[in-house]
Amino acid sequence: MSYVCLWSPSWPTGADFPADLVASLLLHAPRVAVGERRLVWGDARGLHGGQLAEHMLRVAGDYGFEDAHAGVAMTPVAAEVAATQSTTQLVVVKLGQDRQFIAPYPLHVLSPSDELAALLTGLGIETCGALANLDAEAIEVRLGLEGVRLWQRARADDERWLFKLPLRSLPSASVEWVEYGLKDPERLLFVINSLAGTVCTSLIERGERAREMALVFSLGNRTQRTHVIRSSRPSAEQKRWMRLVREALDTITLPDAVMGVTLRVESVTGNGGAQGDLFDRGFASAPAVEDAVIQLTDDQGDVVVSPENSAHPLLEQRTKWMARASRVSRPTIRDPQPALTLQLLPSPKVVTVDTESRRDHEVPVRYLDGNEWHDIVEAAGPDRVSGGQWSSAYAREYFRCVREDGMMVWLFRGSQQQTKDWFLHGWWD
Amino acid sequence: MSRPSIATLRALIEQRFPDATPLTGGSQTTEQVATGIGALDRVLPNGGFARGRLSVWAPQGGATAILRATCHSVVANGERSAWIDGDNTVAGAFWSDDHGLYLVRPKTRIHALRAAEELLRSGGFSLLILAGAEPQGTETVRLTRAAREGGAALISIGSAASMASLRLTSRLLSYGWRRSPFGDPAEAQHVTIRVDARAVGWNAHVQFPIPVTHHELRLSLESELADRRGLPR
Repeated sequence: MSYVCLWSPSWPTGADFPADLVASLLLHAPRVAVGERRLVWGDARGLHGGQLAEHMLRVAGDYGFEDAHAGVAMTPVAAEVAATQSTTQLVVVKLGQDRQFIAPYPLHVLSPSDELAALLTGLGIETCGALANLDAEAIEVRLGLEGVRLWQRARADDERWLFKLPLRSLPSASVEWVEYGLKDPERLLFVINSLAGTVCTSLIERGERAREMALVFSLGNRTQRTHVIRSSRPSAEQKRWMRLVREALDTITLPDAVMGVTLRVESVTGNGGAQGDLFDRGFASAPAVEDAVIQLTDDQGDVVVSPENSAHPLLEQRTKWMARASRVSRPTIRDPQPALTLQLLPSPKVVTVDTESRRDHEVPVRYLDGNEWHDIVEAAGPDRVSGGQWSSAYAREYFRCVREDGMMVWLFRGSQQQTKDWFLHGWWD
Repeated sequence: MSRPSIATLRALIEQRFPDATPLTGGSQTTEQVATGIGALDRVLPNGGFARGRLSVWAPQGGATAILRATCHSVVANGERSAWIDGDNTVAGAFWSDDHGLYLVRPKTRIHALRAAEELLRSGGFSLLILAGAEPQGTETVRLTRAAREGGAALISIGSAASMASLRLTSRLLSYGWRRSPFGDPAEAQHVTIRVDARAVGWNAHVQFPIPVTHHELRLSLESELADRRGLPR
């Protein structure tokens, strides 16, 4: 539930409303607004509307307003009708039922002007439901803008801003000028650099790092353009943000001269780092490494990676390379031993292979890679891998072959109808 | 020595050696970067790879195996290492994700060299392996300088050995096979590796066995059984 509306025929309204009652209501509701027509609004967004309304009614009762009524609904108009028209002290409009709730009530609950009310009465429209059922275009043509607004309220389409937006808590800086328009990117950068200095200093003072900033250009044609800039890692460094701003400016085209710039932080993270180990010899240099990795990521994308392996039968399709997360704990291999492991070519390379028969199969005896023949002294295999009949079928016969120079290579022969070629897939190193 | 004379000495050094970089902070050390393989460390000068220097290891023949073990050894010692996979040949199934070991897979050779320089200059790495992106000419000079500034041992897997303080080559000599009932080779279990190390006026070599890792072949049966699944009859 979003709105709680309190109404009492006996309390004053506007500036005469008792300030201490508002203070007491604020102990329960995060925001309270005293409106016209003896209405008091409570902001129930994110709260349990029914409970909040009960608390507010109790507070009103404590101040002697026993006749106060409350309405709770998703829209202000439904909450208002629930509070002012119902005979019970508290009415909670069911979620999504706002339009149906106000439909049977007469039109005066929407507070139309006298002229419009007379016109609607003349047309035979007496209830909110009857007005809501009419066509928007017909309302617009016959009743004008005021009629459309009333029609929207009758449909519980009420987007009134009852509560002021909370003050922006994230750092921002802006500058505007009116006598000239800026078209030179270098001068624009100069201005933004100054704004970035202010914003980053503020971030550092607050002990936060920005993850995302928005650059808003006010243009000469009275429009605004907003560009969101994201850093791969949160940062409060002016230098880093300016580099990202410079890259962003290289790619955007503005339709008119710039008359003002705002740089505002969109999201932040805390400045806390991962718990360090004083006995870790790399502890002192951890921030420098973090900075270097951020720089690399900003320059080249996610190139610092970790593998995520599946159990796919084809080795080249087992691995997804994911950006290395800085806070994921990884085990340390305590007693590392060297072992020959397979290195894979980025894609299998077609080679020419001579074979000889070994019982019921053929084994490679030498292969041509580029212009060079390599003799094979030992060949283990075939290791047959097949599958993918439902997507892209594959069937391969793999051989682990030792060359005359000691290198062990991984050869396979395609066994599908489409290719019977031999491929060099990798080597042990 | 009084304060003005130290300042004078410093100015003199800066004038005479403009490229000299002072060692700052406590993180830099002159201790060698050991491979963690006893037999090899015993023959390497001072027991490992020199920090702040370039070493070159000729590709293939077990270089990757030994250098990966070295990376893990460095991490086990509480330091960091980085592997720049310039030609994207690292198979994810065989990569052990260690907390202090950083794998970089750049898109091009130039990106690989830039990444190497960036990480070396950070000063946070004890060992950086540059594979599949061999630096040439002035690139080598830049990287060597970055290694010296950051105090990392830089090892390039390649054959261009100019400016290298240590040159290594390795060969795979003989395999130990598990044989099938028919006497055919079924699986290589270990291999003897010979490493030759050379520096100015010095050389040494060593041989030792290392195991061979094979990946799990799913959907495959014993190599001697005819697995015809998915094959045209």
